[in-house]
Amino acid sequence: MHGRKAYELVKEFADGEKGHLKIFNNELFERVIEECNEHHNALQSLIRKMQEEGLEVQTARNADHYGALIHHLSLIRNKRCLMAYVYNRAEIIRELAWKVGLLHELPGEIQEKFSDSEEQYFKDHSKSLKSYMSQLSLDVNVDMVPPKDPYIKVRVLEDLGSGIILSDKSANFARHSMHFLKRTDAEQYVARGLMEELTG
Amino acid sequence: MANYYNIDDILAEEEFVPVVFHKAANGVIIDPSSETNSVEQGAKVELPLWLAQDLYLRQAISISVPACFNQRTRLEIQADAACVDLKSRSPYFYEFGCKIAPLVGDKTIEILLLSAFKIRYKEILTKAYTAAYTTASKFLTLLTKEESNLYEAAQVSMSAFKKWRMGGPRLQRASVLGRKRRSFE
Repeated sequence: MHGRKAYELVKEFADGEKGHLKIFNNELFERVIEECNEHHNALQSLIRKMQEEGLEVQTARNADHYGALIHHLSLIRNKRCLMAYVYNRAEIIRELAWKVGLLHELPGEIQEKFSDSEEQYFKDHSKSLKSYMSQLSLDVNVDMVPPKDPYIKVRVLEDLGSGIILSDKSANFARHSMHFLKRTDAEQYVARGLMEELTG
Repeated sequence: MANYYNIDDILAEEEFVPVVFHKAANGVIIDPSSETNSVEQGAKVELPLWLAQDLYLRQAISISVPACFNQRTRLEIQADAACVDLKSRSPYFYEFGCKIAPLVGDKTIEILLLSAFKIRYKEILTKAYTAAYTTASKFLTLLTKEESNLYEAAQVSMSAFKKWRMGGPRLQRASVLGRKRRSFE
């Protein structure tokens, strides 16, 4: 049936968890493009047939016309599915760039799900975000709610060592050690799950 | 047209509708009963909505009411809308219904959808706030896509409210990473 492969592609995306990526399904993607080419060829051969019969392609409404129409609609449908697949994945990738990608590498298990061009897109997006922020000299990625206290208490969950220099101090961030940090400094580590915020 | 890139909109348009061809069409394989690769005039075929829609607008086919809006479903919805398994009928029951209603010219579909949604909406919100997960999971299998979105939204707002009331850390690990790690440990 027409457009079935394209449907499978979109369905696969929809079945995934929200905000999570699956591996880019190159095989199915290529298959849909191939199908588009088949539709295109069929469409052209039908139109050629009509021209050979001396019919006005614009106005004739014979069986060939409706056949061509069906191929045309299938082509458009396939295009929409392909575009939606890429577009919605790009949306997730942009979000990843905002959430985790600004200062650090993405974890390997997420990165391996990108296609080549998606990887490039992620890098470029992170880069332009960074340059925008440095032009503004403002971090637009911090928590939107103003803090009651600029400092928070955090516990380190994974050994980070002493190599990290924060804006106002450097300390040995050993595992399970607790620190009193500037909220803006701690935020990125909490987001990546390397520290947790302590309350109370 | 709804948002071009909308995944749900695309999937809703993949639902099949029974159609009758008024015009023949050459060079296409959509009629499984036909031996040649063409469709004859008067052929009865099931087509996905996205294809049927445009063919209908060009007066090449006529569309009849799909099976998921048949008399049996209507009677079940009248009896107790909250217990009807709409998901197996169509995971996009409402969206599909809204799209198909003007094409088949059946005004009763709209009334059916509205009354079903009203009753089920109330039930979904009640269950989202009160039922334990074990009892809810059976109920969840009956919901269409739209309804399970509603259910999730209700639960998220409930837990956000609880969190606000109890207080707690504001900063949290990005949820994209969260799931992956737990499977490690």
